[in-house]
Amino acid sequence: MKIVVDRVKCQNHGQCAISAPTNFELDADGKLQYQEAFDEENISDIEDAVDACPLQAIQLKS
Amino acid sequence: MPATADRRPLIGIVGSGIAGLRAADAILKCEVDARIVVFGDEAHRTYNRPGLTKKRYPLSGALEKTIAEDVRVKGADNDAVTWRLGIRVETADLGDRILRLSTGETFEYDRLVIASGIRPRTSARGDGECELHTHRTLRGLGDARYIHHRLQAGEKVTIVGAGFVACELASLAKEYGCEVLVLEALRRGPFESVLGERVAMTLGRWLAQQGVTFLTGDSARKFLCEAKPSNPEPASDRSLFIEAIGSVPNVEWLHGNGLDLSDGVRVDEYMRVSPWENVFAAGDIARYPDPWAAGNLTRMEFWKNAIDTGDLAGRSVAASLGHGSVTSRIGYFPSMTTEVLGLRIQIAGDPKTSDSMEIVCGDLDRPDQGVLVAYLREGAMIGAAYLDKGARFNSAYIKLLRSLRER
Ligand SMILES: Cc1cc2nc3c(=O)[nH]c(=O)nc-3n(C[C@H](O)[C@H](O)[C@H](O)COP(=O)(O)OP(=O)(O)OC[C@H]3O[C@@H](n4cnc5c(N)ncnc54)[C@H](O)[C@@H]3O)c2cc1C
Ligand code: SF4
Repeated sequence: MKIVVDRVKCQNHGQCAISAPTNFELDADGKLQYQEAFDEENISDIEDAVDACPLQAIQLKS
Repeated sequence: MPATADRRPLIGIVGSGIAGLRAADAILKCEVDARIVVFGDEAHRTYNRPGLTKKRYPLSGALEKTIAEDVRVKGADNDAVTWRLGIRVETADLGDRILRLSTGETFEYDRLVIASGIRPRTSARGDGECELHTHRTLRGLGDARYIHHRLQAGEKVTIVGAGFVACELASLAKEYGCEVLVLEALRRGPFESVLGERVAMTLGRWLAQQGVTFLTGDSARKFLCEAKPSNPEPASDRSLFIEAIGSVPNVEWLHGNGLDLSDGVRVDEYMRVSPWENVFAAGDIARYPDPWAAGNLTRMEFWKNAIDTGDLAGRSVAASLGHGSVTSRIGYFPSMTTEVLGLRIQIAGDPKTSDSMEIVCGDLDRPDQGVLVAYLREGAMIGAAYLDKGARFNSAYIKLLRSLRER
């Protein structure tokens, strides 16, 4: 499984970075940077990030 | 619809929003062998309500379809789930476990999930026409289609209120090139009841700097319906007039059952509606024991809250049918983001109940350069807010939140 963010939908709200700071981060310009791959032990944080995004921009794909 | 041949328990969910959807999903995930029927008075399957004010849409004849496709939320696609859309539940008899529907049918349930959400408050009566304006509000896809369509024309728009929806609408209207007037008669600036006067004044100045006419107090009142005819100022104005002045929980259909409906539906920490063991509630409508302030009840109107409480209600339904045990309580950590005319506003914890505030870094006169604010109650931090055009202090903010969360 990997993380895919729909860049058109994403509005850099950074809610994901609160749920799962291991994989999501806003850079100094406020733009979302993220890592696609994640450790299975962080799955609940990642799922929390998927839910927390008010634009529903994050998906987990295999 | 009596269950004659099919002996599976029948679960009714009232409300096809995200809380109802997530309750259904959670029940399915617990592998409960049940039939689930979701009732929704909107014609659409579940969609992303926050998405309605987040961006402009291109001019098109099929605007509603474009928006609907853009904000569609997947889930609960399963043969066990029946969606009855465009149907209102008119009344409920919780003693006899019967819902009466707008179609004239009745529906007998074994378990009921109340997820009927809220609707915008309005000062208008009846059809929304007063002497001065045609009142509009924004909650559903239909409202959004109408409002986007009007804003696309770049006309003048008046927005009453200065909460999240009002501010997002002001941004959106400005992006569409409209002339924007925001009226806030009761407070001095946006989000004052949550973030306090100083931050509210900063945000009020920000709106003005970005070209929005932001009026408060008596200057705002002049344009409202309460303005007396003796006041020469307000002429009848049929340009777009949108009220975003708070909400009313959709509880009317539950009247007559002896429930405490004073502010939504009261539930326990498992989302159960006492004294009925087969009734649950979730989402914007649910008022639950505040995990952040022992002894208090709280009701939150946020997307993630609807997801978490919907999940929990679904798991509680499953547990009541002998599937798994509900051990977890509400673990919701309140945090939200909005963007107002290019300024990102992030809020977390419970700043509303603070007794003082502290600027951690930045300057409230330059919110675009980043300001981080901590909210305290009896000396302990209980909330935080972060304003910025970029994300200069984002890692500091996240660090603050971590300590908030671990309190
Ligand atoms: C414009 C806007 C922007 C927002 N932006 C954000 C944001 O950026 N971040 C955030 O966290 N939150 C945001 N929110 C709030 C968020 O959308 C809500 O918290 C969330 O959608 C609540 O979900 P719910 O399922 O509890 O209620 P709802 O989505 O309101 O669902 C309830 C459904 O039940 C239906 N219903 C009501 N009564 C009946 C009945 N008797 N019979 C049948 N059906 C009935 C309603 O029509 C509705 O479809 C925003 C809200 C709006 C309006
Ligand atoms: S929460 Fe959603 S919109 Fe916000 S930065 Fe993350 S992916 Fe983008």
